[in-house]
Amino acid sequence: MGLFASCDNYLDVVPDNVATIDNAFTDEVQARKYLFTCYSYLPNVSGVGWVPGWYTGDEFWPNSEVYNWLQNPSNIARNAQNANEPLLNFYEGRGGGSDLFQGIRVCNTFISRVDNVPGLDNVEKIKWKAEAKFLKAYYHYYLTKMYGPIPLITENIDVSATPDEVRLPRASFDECINFIVDLLDEAAEGLPTTILNELDELGRITKSIALAVKADVLLTAASPLFNGNPDYSTFNNIDGTPFFGPYDKEKWKRAADAGLEAIEEAEAAGAVLYEFSDLVVTNPSAETVRKLTLRGRVTDPWNKEIVWGSSQNDDRQYDSQANFVTAGETVTGQWMAPTYRIVEQYYTNHGVPIEEDIAWADRDPLAFRTAQASHSLDIQEGAEIPQIHFDREPRFYADLGFDRGTWYGQGKLDENDQHIVKAKRGETSGKKTISKFSITGYFPKKLVNYENAFGTSNSYSSKRYSFPYIRLAELYLNYAEALNEYSGPSAEVYSYIDKIRERAGLEGVVQSWGNYTNNPGKPTNVDGLRDIIQKERLIELSFENHRYWDLRRWKLLQDHMNGPIQGWNIDSDQNDGYYNLITFFNQKFTMRNYLWPIRSEVLLLNPNLVQNPGW
Amino acid sequence: MKKILNIWGPIWYGLPKYNLKMKLTTLFLIITFFRIEANTYSQNTKISLDLDAVHVIDVLEEIEALSEFKVLANENLLDKHRLVSAHYKEKRIDRILRDLFSGTQVTFTVVGKQIVLRKKEEKDNPGIKVIPSAPIRAPMLQQKIGGTITDDQGTPLAGVNILKEGTLIGTQSDFDGQYLILATKGDRLTFSYLGMLSKTITVGDSDTIDVVMLEDSAKLDEVVLVGFGTQKKSSVVGAVETISPSELRVTSSNLTTALAGRVSGLISYQRSGEPGADNAEFFVRGVTSFGYKKDPLILIDGVELTLDDLSRLQTDDIASFSILKDATATAIYGARGANGIILVTTKSGVTGKVKISVRFENSFSSPTRKVDFADPITYMQLHNEAVRTRNPIGPLPYSESKIANTMAGLNPNVYPAINWQEELFQDFTNNQKMNLNLSGGGSAVRYYLASSYGVDNGLLKVDKRNNFNNNIKLKRLTLRSNINIDLTKTTEAIVRFNGTFDDYIGPIDGGAEIYKKALRTNPVLYPKYYEPDEANASTGHILFGNSAGSSSTGARYLNPYADLVKGYRENSKTLLLSQVEIKQNFDMITQGLKARILMNTTRASDFDVIRQYNPYFYEIGRYDKDTDTYTLNSLNEETGTEYLDFNENTPNISTSFYLEGAIDYSRTFNEKHEVTGLVVYTKRSSLRNNTGSFQKSLPYRNLGVSSRLSYGYDSKYFGEFNFGYNGSERFSNNNRFGFFPSAGLSWAVSEESFFEPLLSVVSRLKLRASYGIVGNDAIGDQDDRFFYLSQVNLDDDGRGYRFGKNFDYYRRGVSIGRYANDRITWERAYKSNLGLEINFLNDRVKVLADVFREKRDNILMNRAFIPPSIGLESDVRANVGEAQSEGIDFSIDYNNSFNKDLWLSGRVNFTYARGEFKVFEEPNYVDAPWRSHPGQAINQQYGLIAERLFVDEEEVANSPQQFGIYGAGDIKYHDLNGDGLIDDNDKAPIGFPTTPEIVYGFGFSMGYKNFDLSGFFQGSARSSFWVDPYATAPFIDNRDAGYENVIDSNALLQIYADSHWSEANQDVYALWPRLSTTVNENNSQTSTWFMRNGAFLRFKEVELGFSFPDSLIDKWHLTKFRMYLTGTNLLSISKFKLWDPEMGGNGLGYPVQRVFNFGMQITL
Repeated sequence: MGLFASCDNYLDVVPDNVATIDNAFTDEVQARKYLFTCYSYLPNVSGVGWVPGWYTGDEFWPNSEVYNWLQNPSNIARNAQNANEPLLNFYEGRGGGSDLFQGIRVCNTFISRVDNVPGLDNVEKIKWKAEAKFLKAYYHYYLTKMYGPIPLITENIDVSATPDEVRLPRASFDECINFIVDLLDEAAEGLPTTILNELDELGRITKSIALAVKADVLLTAASPLFNGNPDYSTFNNIDGTPFFGPYDKEKWKRAADAGLEAIEEAEAAGAVLYEFSDLVVTNPSAETVRKLTLRGRVTDPWNKEIVWGSSQNDDRQYDSQANFVTAGETVTGQWMAPTYRIVEQYYTNHGVPIEEDIAWADRDPLAFRTAQASHSLDIQEGAEIPQIHFDREPRFYADLGFDRGTWYGQGKLDENDQHIVKAKRGETSGKKTISKFSITGYFPKKLVNYENAFGTSNSYSSKRYSFPYIRLAELYLNYAEALNEYSGPSAEVYSYIDKIRERAGLEGVVQSWGNYTNNPGKPTNVDGLRDIIQKERLIELSFENHRYWDLRRWKLLQDHMNGPIQGWNIDSDQNDGYYNLITFFNQKFTMRNYLWPIRSEVLLLNPNLVQNPGW
Repeated sequence: MKKILNIWGPIWYGLPKYNLKMKLTTLFLIITFFRIEANTYSQNTKISLDLDAVHVIDVLEEIEALSEFKVLANENLLDKHRLVSAHYKEKRIDRILRDLFSGTQVTFTVVGKQIVLRKKEEKDNPGIKVIPSAPIRAPMLQQKIGGTITDDQGTPLAGVNILKEGTLIGTQSDFDGQYLILATKGDRLTFSYLGMLSKTITVGDSDTIDVVMLEDSAKLDEVVLVGFGTQKKSSVVGAVETISPSELRVTSSNLTTALAGRVSGLISYQRSGEPGADNAEFFVRGVTSFGYKKDPLILIDGVELTLDDLSRLQTDDIASFSILKDATATAIYGARGANGIILVTTKSGVTGKVKISVRFENSFSSPTRKVDFADPITYMQLHNEAVRTRNPIGPLPYSESKIANTMAGLNPNVYPAINWQEELFQDFTNNQKMNLNLSGGGSAVRYYLASSYGVDNGLLKVDKRNNFNNNIKLKRLTLRSNINIDLTKTTEAIVRFNGTFDDYIGPIDGGAEIYKKALRTNPVLYPKYYEPDEANASTGHILFGNSAGSSSTGARYLNPYADLVKGYRENSKTLLLSQVEIKQNFDMITQGLKARILMNTTRASDFDVIRQYNPYFYEIGRYDKDTDTYTLNSLNEETGTEYLDFNENTPNISTSFYLEGAIDYSRTFNEKHEVTGLVVYTKRSSLRNNTGSFQKSLPYRNLGVSSRLSYGYDSKYFGEFNFGYNGSERFSNNNRFGFFPSAGLSWAVSEESFFEPLLSVVSRLKLRASYGIVGNDAIGDQDDRFFYLSQVNLDDDGRGYRFGKNFDYYRRGVSIGRYANDRITWERAYKSNLGLEINFLNDRVKVLADVFREKRDNILMNRAFIPPSIGLESDVRANVGEAQSEGIDFSIDYNNSFNKDLWLSGRVNFTYARGEFKVFEEPNYVDAPWRSHPGQAINQQYGLIAERLFVDEEEVANSPQQFGIYGAGDIKYHDLNGDGLIDDNDKAPIGFPTTPEIVYGFGFSMGYKNFDLSGFFQGSARSSFWVDPYATAPFIDNRDAGYENVIDSNALLQIYADSHWSEANQDVYALWPRLSTTVNENNSQTSTWFMRNGAFLRFKEVELGFSFPDSLIDKWHLTKFRMYLTGTNLLSISKFKLWDPEMGGNGLGYPVQRVFNFGMQITL
């Protein structure tokens, strides 16, 4: 067949220089793209439909129209998680989840090759490599957080590896945590303290972020779900070794140390609790400034409190904004609807829970009360609405929009002439269409920058912000929690909680409980203070994708995700009709839901893998 | 003078130059086609000549000039120097010719308008060749036996050979069909004539024996199209099925729909009746691979074309149609033949006066079965039910007053109740088709010119208010010109040119899409347009109905009427094939040696232009019941336009080039040893634009050499060896070329002398066997090329990220679409075949049966052991799969002419093929062995076993957990492994495969005098389909392509309205589960609940024809005039009643059409 020797060229249609993975590392420009690829697997903190948190618990509830695209998380809240086709499956990148193991492989590729990129500056090399290491650690952490122990991917396994080589078993939980922490420490060494080129690089990983995540990792590892959880005492690996050890108090110590380290690093890099400073109106009252401070802690882009802000695309302002266009229009999405129990959870103006506040002992939260002129900064004067909207802490009024409540900003910068949320059926912010409405009658005002504006032609423009992954307040609460668990109540613990309360216009923990509650000694014992820290955290970090994760970490989901999800009867246009609590769903929580199921098919692929308990 | 010389060119494309016998065979094939219309000519035509001392050739030329007779003769045959005189007045041609050639070595035959001149000794049947040296026995008691030989029409047959059996004594009939022979009582006389069934008659007491000879359809098929050439049918070793083009005539403009049940060995079905998308899918001997290409390679005039191109071929232009099934037939195509081959050649011109044939058809088509939908009131009530049954506090889409007012028939603008289907579609449409072809030729050039023009009209209703006519008009023009030119005595050039041109004007979405939209539009929210309210009394545009719905602005719903009339799309498609073939006869080097070379280039292009305005949508503002007046609110004042805008797409263009060179040798030695050899070199390259990826933009290429060697002994034993050695660009250097050999043997048992006693019953018996290896290089995915290279996207938007203070520092990322694997190569099919050909009762009944087995290995598939924790970005694949199929196909033909007025033929086809997995990489299903694939059919579905619907919530709570959110009235599944959880492990093989395992057909044709009638039934069995729980789910807002941004709502099937689970009627065996407005994850699992038997038997086609009698057509100077009436898809028998079962799961798609067709065919 000599004929073909020469003709073989005929079939050689592929020219040289076809793109291969080597091309991703030929120069700085290409390598940067690959670094961005490493980032692209980051679970988007504000991606309400694609990450656990927002709609998987009891914090928000979707109306039936948006339920369609929020199905993955919403069905978890409805106890429809399953091992057949798991929802938000980050193990494989299915069911709406990001493929984190793929992300890890990409990071490993980058780490192993970045050193050989010609022409890449050495300083950049170190920095970029550290970023990839951070991401590799973070992806491992995210998986560990969801699934418990996971197989650790220290290095990439070759495509042509044999079945035995690829069928990795899960590591023990402590191995996972140690691996992640070591990697974070390694990353921290190479990461910059601050971003110098803010225009191009804000959003990239800094040393503060690495240490803040490390604090988070260790806090999670010390928390009841993973630390001595009796439910997992018999949860063993394929070889019979237990995945989890017994309760270890020293884990709290590690968490506390890391917490403090993170705070120190962040503060050294310039982080402070946010205070509003722009004077937008003449002589605003302190109360209005306070509310602007509270709204700005999340929505002021790249403010100093934000340790790690997301530079990704999604904020939820359009969906959270109550509609203020009066005609037959509903301009904004309005469907981000906080549930009634979140409303209940905020403190009273005394900085303590309603059920503990002596002043509320005889009050019926659902009884109507008429707003006076003295309420007018928060509630429309003359409005007759349930008591529960009165006499609440500033964060309540800063974070929530509700029927007849005020809404500063959005074009109305005079505190005496604020927007009023009118949320009954057919009203401005009420239900006018079949999908753009809040099913509970509440709106997460916290997530809306006050500068966003309604345009003249039924448009809405929003000022984009860096949705916080981590802000300084969280670091304070992390440290306070770990310290209280390890060494009990102390002035140091109080001080970190009180910093946050003070910014929210509240007195310190000891004073508040001492003065206004029927349990004045509560902050002085570990359990009491734990309760206080937890509630403080739930309030301070509400609507920021924390509640579900925190309740889960504390192993409290069965207390919260068992019961009715409620809101007002928004289909009514009458006061009497509207203010009836409607149950949208009765949640039932099963214990197996704590850890994500691994898709059963994956277990068939890898006989060395053990399924999570209950699945 | 040249005109009548050297006209032995192959009349048929692809026919190699064999010996004279071959040529004659070919010739008679053609002639037989004409004979019916031409028989009378020679009888009735009288010629006058007045020539003195001219060459014979001049006489012949004069005859040609004076009449329509054409003379076919070999140049060497005529003595160029012989001078003759001819003085005739009004004499018949036979008389003249007899005189002209008396005393010469030339004999003649007149069939129709053809005069064939031959050398006397060289008879058709070698057995009657008179060998002078042979001893001739002295005659004993001989008597003169004589008579007339006619065909079944009573036409005398000239040139029939009469041979005394066992001797070399013979004679021929004269032009009046008369013969005379000396024979003894008891002698057996054999009458033979090419193209007719031979007859043997024993001499009795009578000295007159009149013989009626019948056409032999088997002899018509004597040449069979095979890979890169043709073979005599008797010597074919492989499993090759040929089908006569007339069998393929269909009323639809789509040839592929004619194949099911007509050809044994094909598994075929048609899922949609949408014009342009109604191709039937078909597989040669079923499916034996689970790669992407399972359908056969299609070659038209040697050039690889697509299913679409085949579907557009005009039956009138087809000369022959073959399907190659086994290894012997396909191995010559090497790595491209494993899925079987379909070979088609188009007609060539025949020497003679121009012959014109015209066919005109007009057809009416309408859906085979109309699907019933619920009325708008029921729709509203059940839509409300669907909301409330799932969510007791859910907002109702329709208020009680709306339902009541709609029911009361208040103002239809405000309370519309629209049957969108009826608003938009007519019940039937009619299409026209015209074919015209011309053929003929002189001594050096022959031509076949054909054109067809078809108009497909859409079935959209047209409204006079519209700005323009939006109904679909698809005009299809095809032109074909096949020209054969004799360059020298031994060299022939063939030029073929073929163009297909489509011009479409119609709605922007196309008819099928509008159809789909009509079935997805809410019937009660808005009318197609509003009558103007007071404010709009003078508005210039149409006030289209719509609703803002969930959005507060804009028109969010579907209005298919607006989509229909808002503009139109013009689409123009061109396919051009230009082909040159040169054939050279090398008899001067050694007899039987020939060579040819063929070059083809194919160019295809299409483009679209869309012109449209943006419709203005309105919804009802206020309605005053008392005065019956309403106001309209504009939904899109800002974006609506009254003027047309336009939009162009990038045209799609593809080009390909094909080169084929062949050397062909064929010779018979010592009368007994038939030897043929063929070597072919092929190369092909094609290129496309708009491929969307670098790798796809590279040329597609193949290169190969193939060969066939055959040996036949004494027409009894045949052996054949084939191989293909070829490669494609898809594979790495190491695996580029593959060698695919095959061998086959056949034995014509009936030719053996020992078989003779049986011949009266079994007139023919032949056994065949073959084995070989064939490849399939179309593996993986069509877009997957160059497996040896990785596929890396260095600019992937999906993997980009964004940073920066202002969120604007964005860079795209890198992704891997495939990892390199240089070991990937083609699939290999090991095919074995046993065949039997047996004819009974003088060939009146013919049976062709094959059993086959095929083992396929090297099937590309995903590795199944790689867990996700490895983090690969794409699947890893290897040639590890194996499959096997086996089956049987047979056909039975019956042909009989009872007398000259009545004839009948019948045909039965049957194909059974079952392909199953042998090796399939999958996890080890220890706990659920039923999930395993090996041993299961290739298109086997796996699903859950549905028990019934849940009775109540208590049962739900006490049953294994299922899928998503579900409750009473949703489907309850069987927990197969008893683990208290319904999941993939409970999915078992259910039903038959989705591709039918049995396809069959049977039909008849009969003629009585001038009438003919034919009918054809087609059926399939052993297949299952699943009613699509998405497409048929009522009220669902579809989210598929094109519907992301509109709110639509699936129509409600009447049958679902009648039978579904509801609180009021808790029927746990209802057809449809509890209603829902969204797709219910639990109910949409593949399960036995929606499984249906796909078996059906269809009365596919019936045709009644009338041919005008000869007396009339002669008067009209025609040779043929036939009118016919055809009905297609008239009736189908199936257990499934909702819609046409052949459509499968989605009955809401474009329906399969029933067609009534009137046609006429005129030949001049």
